[in-house]
Amino acid sequence: MDILQYEDFQPGPRAQMEWGFGGRRRWRDGALLMALFLGGIGAGQFVVSTWLVESVTSAFIGLLLVGVGKTVAHLVYLGQPARFYRLLLRPRTSWISRGLIFMVAFVGLAAAYLAPELGFEWVPWTSESSFGQALWLAAVATAALVMVYDGFVLASCKSITSWNTALMPPLFFTYAVAGGVAMTYLTMTVGGGELLDRETLVRLDAMLLTTMFALVVIYITNMAGSTAAARESLRRLTSTRLAIAFIGLAIGAGLLVPLALTYYHEFATEGALASTLLAASAILELAGDLSVRHSILRAGLHVPVFSEGL
Amino acid sequence: MVIDLKRCVSCHSCTAACKAEHSTPPGVFWAKVVRVESGRYPTVVRQGLPLLCMNCKEPECEKVCPTGATKKRPNGIVVVVSDICVGCRYCSVACPYGARYFAEDWKDYFTGTKEPSSIYAEHLRKRWLEESDRGVVSKCNFCVDRAEAGRTPACVEACPCEARTFGDLDDPESEASQLIVKRRGMQLHSEYGTEPSVYYLPAR
Repeated sequence: MDILQYEDFQPGPRAQMEWGFGGRRRWRDGALLMALFLGGIGAGQFVVSTWLVESVTSAFIGLLLVGVGKTVAHLVYLGQPARFYRLLLRPRTSWISRGLIFMVAFVGLAAAYLAPELGFEWVPWTSESSFGQALWLAAVATAALVMVYDGFVLASCKSITSWNTALMPPLFFTYAVAGGVAMTYLTMTVGGGELLDRETLVRLDAMLLTTMFALVVIYITNMAGSTAAARESLRRLTSTRLAIAFIGLAIGAGLLVPLALTYYHEFATEGALASTLLAASAILELAGDLSVRHSILRAGLHVPVFSEGL
Repeated sequence: MVIDLKRCVSCHSCTAACKAEHSTPPGVFWAKVVRVESGRYPTVVRQGLPLLCMNCKEPECEKVCPTGATKKRPNGIVVVVSDICVGCRYCSVACPYGARYFAEDWKDYFTGTKEPSSIYAEHLRKRWLEESDRGVVSKCNFCVDRAEAGRTPACVEACPCEARTFGDLDDPESEASQLIVKRRGMQLHSEYGTEPSVYYLPAR
């Protein structure tokens, strides 16, 4: 309580205390971070699994991550979970409403697309039929919206300059796709499924990791040249305890090490070693994904309410 | 509302009056005073900055609210309908003024528990749950019931320095409007386009 009151009476840049671990309700506010994380990687996994790998099991796990994981995390976070349906009522102005509508649409469409493959053979379509393909296309489109909307939620907060940037949606989207690739790879490896085109997946992952690294560098550069509050956010990200999550986990373990492992696996002479390296890379990527989202939420600082000269 | 910073002595009477009027639990400050230091030695100035909901004409909180719980009344006062709020706190994050508070549950001031420690605490708990709710966001509403009954908000009435003036900003003849014109009243973060209804008269 002491720390929270300190933030409320802080004359300088004020940390947002509502979203992410360490908020007003400490651990319970972390459920929102988990919702963003699970939503991103789940939607990403569905897209990668159905588009590149054609694995029903992996696609179904992606659907569960969004439909169950993200939903439960949101309900845990809400102050009044029994009224959750009200969140869908204002899509005209609120990104949370839009995001939840995308999520409901994705779950419905993805479930309908996968239904014939999951044993619901009584449905009057197959996944290969033109209606099934239309369902898949719509599910992929809504999955993309689920992956990107949380970036828009953060970017819409005008007084938090480290969030109020056009970089947020592409950053969250790229991390979600990369998380999807990592989850697909892990699911296929653990499940013992045959990965038909592993090299395509690995090449896509390397490309995504490079893009993510470039986006993170641009994000940091942007903050360094922005308002005092954004520079303070950057200071917190790089020289406080948060640096362990941001520099150590998100950039080091979550980007640079997986990038090195992804390139190095080609030189591994044994197939088993290459698979182990790629699996390790996938786990680190997921840890990096969670860390980058946590760091961005925690480094969100409101611009001071006053200016000198009052 | 117009707040004269030249008159404010940071006595926190407004905070106490607000708490007494609305029975807000610990950690919830609809009205507060933040101490600000500016300048460089030897010309350092320490100034109290009373903060409350700016009841903006273009409120960010109303735009982002996914349920429609935040509403602007015809008289310009922005209110939270606690029966509709789900406690997602998007409004708290979007508000540039830090004016919104989330209370997971009512808590006793002395024991810090959810159980009232006295009959008085039980009375406060009942009043708070009538006015707001557990698990929702709340904020200053310019004492809307008092305003609609023709009375000034509790903080305005309690201020011993008469630093606060409450009136109709749409009426150019009102005392508040006159003060803004004469003393060059300014809004906080007008660059966001929120058009706050709270004006500050400069201390210097």
